[in-house]
Amino acid sequence: MLDTLLPILLFSALLLAAIGAVRRVRLWRQGRPSSVPVIKGLMQVPRRYLVDLHHVVERDKYISHTHVATAGGFVLAALLAIVVHGFGLQSAILGWVLLAATTSMFIGSLLVAKRRSPPPSRLSKGPWMRLPKSLMAFSLGMFAVTLPTAGILPEGVFQSGLGWIAALVLAAVIVWGLGEMFFGMTWGGPMKHAFAGALHLAFHRRPERFSDGTGGEHRSTGLKALKLDDDNAKLGVEKPADFTWNQLLGFDACVQCGRCEAMCPAFAAGQPLNPKKLIQDMVVGMAGGSDAKYYGSPYPGKPVGEHEGHPHGPIVARQGTSLVDPETLWSCTTCRACVEECPMMIEHVDAIVDMRRFLTLEHGNTPNKGAEVLDNLIATDNPGGFDPDSRLHWAADLNLPLMADKQEADVLLWLGDGVFDMRNQRTLRAFISVLRAANVDFAVLGNEERDSGDVARRLGDEATFQTLARRNIQTLSRYRFARIVTCDPHSFHVLKNEYGELGTAQTPADYHVQHHSTYISELVSANKLTFKAWKGGSVTYHDPCYLGRYNGEYEAPRDVLKALGIEIKEMARSGYRSRCCGGGGGAPITDIPGKQRIPDMRMEDVRETGADLVAVGCPQCTAMLEGVVEPRAGIKDIAELVADALIIETPADQSPQRQQAPAAPRPALEVAS
Amino acid sequence: MAFEALFKPIQIGSQTIRNRVVSTAHAEVYATDGGMTTDRYVKYYEEKAKGGCGLCICGGSSIVSIDSPQGWWSSVNLSTDRIIPHFQNLADAVHKHGGKIMIQITHMGRRSRWDGYDWSTLLSPSGIREPVHRSTCKTIEVEEIHRIIHDFTQAARRAKEGGLDGVELSAVHQHLIDQFWSPRVNKRTDEWGGTFENRMRFGLEVLKAVRAEVGDDFVVGMRITGDEFHPDGLTHEDMKQIAAYYDATGMVDYFGVVGSGCDTHNTLANVIPNMSFPPEPFLHLASGIKEVVNVPVIHAQNIKDPNQAQRILEGGYVDLVGMTRAHIADPHIIAKIKNNQIDQIKQCVGANYCIDRQYQGLDVLCIQNAATSREYMGLPHIIEKTEGPKRKVVVVGGGPAGMEAARVCAERGHDVTLFEAGEQIGGQITIASKAPQRDQIAGITRWYQLELNRLEVDQRLGTRADEATIQDLRPDVVILATGGRPFLTQVPEWGYDADTDKSLVVSTWDILEGRVEPGKNVLIFDTICEFSGVSAADYLADKGAKVEIVTDDIKPGAAVGGTTFPTYYRSLYEKEVIMTSDLALHKVYREGDSLVAVLENEYTGALEERVVDQVVVENGVRPDETLYYALKERSRNKGQTDIEALYAIKPQPCLQEPGEGFALFRLGDCTAPRNTHAAIYDALRLCKDF
Repeated sequence: MLDTLLPILLFSALLLAAIGAVRRVRLWRQGRPSSVPVIKGLMQVPRRYLVDLHHVVERDKYISHTHVATAGGFVLAALLAIVVHGFGLQSAILGWVLLAATTSMFIGSLLVAKRRSPPPSRLSKGPWMRLPKSLMAFSLGMFAVTLPTAGILPEGVFQSGLGWIAALVLAAVIVWGLGEMFFGMTWGGPMKHAFAGALHLAFHRRPERFSDGTGGEHRSTGLKALKLDDDNAKLGVEKPADFTWNQLLGFDACVQCGRCEAMCPAFAAGQPLNPKKLIQDMVVGMAGGSDAKYYGSPYPGKPVGEHEGHPHGPIVARQGTSLVDPETLWSCTTCRACVEECPMMIEHVDAIVDMRRFLTLEHGNTPNKGAEVLDNLIATDNPGGFDPDSRLHWAADLNLPLMADKQEADVLLWLGDGVFDMRNQRTLRAFISVLRAANVDFAVLGNEERDSGDVARRLGDEATFQTLARRNIQTLSRYRFARIVTCDPHSFHVLKNEYGELGTAQTPADYHVQHHSTYISELVSANKLTFKAWKGGSVTYHDPCYLGRYNGEYEAPRDVLKALGIEIKEMARSGYRSRCCGGGGGAPITDIPGKQRIPDMRMEDVRETGADLVAVGCPQCTAMLEGVVEPRAGIKDIAELVADALIIETPADQSPQRQQAPAAPRPALEVAS
Repeated sequence: MAFEALFKPIQIGSQTIRNRVVSTAHAEVYATDGGMTTDRYVKYYEEKAKGGCGLCICGGSSIVSIDSPQGWWSSVNLSTDRIIPHFQNLADAVHKHGGKIMIQITHMGRRSRWDGYDWSTLLSPSGIREPVHRSTCKTIEVEEIHRIIHDFTQAARRAKEGGLDGVELSAVHQHLIDQFWSPRVNKRTDEWGGTFENRMRFGLEVLKAVRAEVGDDFVVGMRITGDEFHPDGLTHEDMKQIAAYYDATGMVDYFGVVGSGCDTHNTLANVIPNMSFPPEPFLHLASGIKEVVNVPVIHAQNIKDPNQAQRILEGGYVDLVGMTRAHIADPHIIAKIKNNQIDQIKQCVGANYCIDRQYQGLDVLCIQNAATSREYMGLPHIIEKTEGPKRKVVVVGGGPAGMEAARVCAERGHDVTLFEAGEQIGGQITIASKAPQRDQIAGITRWYQLELNRLEVDQRLGTRADEATIQDLRPDVVILATGGRPFLTQVPEWGYDADTDKSLVVSTWDILEGRVEPGKNVLIFDTICEFSGVSAADYLADKGAKVEIVTDDIKPGAAVGGTTFPTYYRSLYEKEVIMTSDLALHKVYREGDSLVAVLENEYTGALEERVVDQVVVENGVRPDETLYYALKERSRNKGQTDIEALYAIKPQPCLQEPGEGFALFRLGDCTAPRNTHAAIYDALRLCKDF
């Protein structure tokens, strides 16, 4: 009986799955067009899955092993089941392999079950709780029906009296297994992640993220430019169907593992954002309906079941509620911790900025200080609304060489908007004393420099970003320099990764950009700097998001600190898992309330190390962390630590009139601090 | 960004000044060695530049000619090329930190003393005597005018060759240039006096000659008064005309404006407004000058606070603010603004200890900052943490000595406990602040309170420390700063009794602290003649008492400095306080409900009596030594401070050597009564190496 029943069951399930797949694809195709190389993409899937995705999954060894056993077992078992039980190729060898595959899958499903008893809060419940049982049903059922094929049980064992009953039971178990594994895969069950995930890997909007076997960095973190030249085109994403189809596909790939949720600083701070829920809401919106069937952690402070959406309805309502509330989108610091953690390689930050673009550009609805900051950027080229000709006021006594005078320099020092902030001026002064100590040929743009556009872009004001960026590109195109160095990772990121797209044939914008820690690290390696012995207390290092996760620079700052004689007491969350300071993405400007402040949590991470001082490399981080009430560790930029330790052979004489005789080595003196 | 206006650079002539804050010209009295800017002088200005000051104009009243004596105030001597290498040191030290430095140059004419050094014959346009210095002078001759104009050019050349950034011509405080301007002093009928043009001529010739000598790439400024405040002196309208006249030459790069003339004791007190004045009392005069000139205007007079400075600059009243005493109190004021440490700024309280010393020819010192001008000796403004052992330090007494000792020890990283018997710290500063117009002196305590809190010093207020409490803390160092008590037992005939109901006399402390109700008819006997006597008189008169203040010294308040006794006198005369000198308090006795004070004339021995209802005696402080002698024998150093080490600013040997028990030191009035600066200086130099 099973011989007859199994092919029917298998092929029915496959047919239903195929119908489901067509329906699913049609859901995705509601999105805007996005051209992808279909065949090439599909060819890449195994490599992308086994190499790139596996790198992420492997950070959690338990689930990595579990997944290899379960998914590997399932894929093999499913294929063999079709061959053996579908097409009736009763080979004992295939039977044995099928038994092995189902055994592997069964062991994996036991591990899945163990992980879920009880499940950590980041995991979704609901249908996900039945998944281990479904996996067991499929693997046990297939195992049992394959025993005769392998010759372990006699042929016809399921045809005896008791065998009939067993066969019926097994058929039921297999129906359950097939239902979950084949039918559920395309009809929206937990196994959907396998189907959508595989295609997401094939048609990912950032193929640059995947390795191609030639080595090198595979990082793609710059936001993609919005085309502003079409007057009729909608700016940004208003409704789910405004995302590109492969973005929708990406959302659908979410396995609800909650790794993003566990890393999200806004979620931890009790702000109304949970990246996992946001992605699920996009899926809800794409399919239409309410979020009532979401079984994970909600947005803090927002109960589930009160929001609903439609592929062609607004995601954010002008009034009342629809799919997502605006404060959810404005809580994001764009720290990329979610993207970094996501084993399905979903692009949360892109989606959030897409939706912010609509709110800012079409609704003019940037909350709190957002509108003021954007107005300032438009009127004064800086977020604080300062006189644009006052960029060098802080440095009147430093006689900084100007690009306009020199035309050419080895280093173009990009000062950033920190020039308007007295705290950051200390960092800049320190870095300039380092450059001078190393006799670096550098120059600044001075009043010709404009805000890099980072904040405008993260706040969704793509137009202001592009204007600022194009003007900066124009300015930069007039001068010759080997590299741009900056103390601001945000400027660093946009100059390095986001200006390129806006360059033209006449004014290309592909610069060699370095963060100051990277450059100092090079100066140290080249023996251009000499340091006093470190006498301070213990030090930890805070990785800025836009330096670390966005640009992969984790080592240079640490190398510099080591060169100073500092042994770093690492925080539990450091490197690619560094916790955001709360200062990115315009979050301090939109200022969405939560239960606690993100920088307070970060300083708590610092406190746990027992360090007296936290070294930073970003003006935003410095401002956010110094805003934490004392007692707390001190906060110093790497440039300040380096400048404090410098031994300068000849004093930097500021007076142009006369050369001074060399004096004994002395510490660098600047304005007292 | 906060303080945007303060940190906006400005161009003065050829020089870019990094911010709007100036240390204006004042006589430092540090140019020893015949008027040379030696190490102390250089380090004093270097500290300001290091602290972020935009422009230092040094050398108030630095002389260009040898017949303008420099020795009395150790002012800078630009009459010789010997100054040039000294200037190079000075310029380098300031430029190194991004600051700019100029010097005021002048011939003081009649405004000096002639009875010393070269016994110069002083000069002035019409030979009229100057009251403040009691100086007589000759009428200047035309040959001398031309010699002095040449001297100005040579002085400017020396400043330029020495690498300074500019010179400021002093035409203020009744120096020779403004002596020519003023019809009150200039009665000449030749081309150097009479008409406006003629009175302007000397200054103009000086300006032209100096500009011709130094060229355009060197700043030449002018400091002028905004109004002499003399009925027959130069008015504000006169000064606007004068400023506009010089400005029109295009040869002046900036004007510094000072309110008030200063050739009488009373006007002089306006020039450096003490704590009795409101903030920036003469800003309107500087602003009036700014109306008529096209170059930047600097104004300094009672601008001490960053917010005040920002407000003045933002309002556009002037272009740069002078914060000179503010820098004497805290040369790191700018750095602290920039470092978001505004609460850590040691703010000038207008005690005028600095300028009142200067008027006596003594080096300028700050009442509350003992490190100022002692940078060359190694006294630090920023105290570094010790690299030696962390000590348990017990400080007893929260007056100036105790507060400074506790602060310095805490900055060194030691574990400090401060005992204060009173309910608040401050000691005698708190008492002094109770007098009318003297409340701002409490700013000294306010700063210490903020610092001690910041440094987490364990402050046991309202707690009188005894041997047992001190021993319980197992201290490594015990510092006694217990001060003293009014010394009323010296003359038994005064009839002092510890029970105020029985006592015939009370102290100025009793009055100022409000422990004794003010009488209606009060005699104050003040043999000390410093602040407390006149303060008590002012306080009592303010409460409606009829007051006579009597001293056996030359006049009441004789030891109060030159910029402060006039403001006391203004207040005391206005309240009809009788001020009597040359009488000592011989005896007090009771007669019915009244008290009879018997006074003895210092010079004739004649006795006279006053019938009053309250007698207040100011006879200084008697040290409180009880705790010291209770602890002395048990201490490892027997309570002795090694004064050679102390004076040389070196560590105390007893703390370098191994030994048993605690080291014991005494500071301030509990050893011998001196003053606030002495207490703070001793505390700093003793504790900085703990």
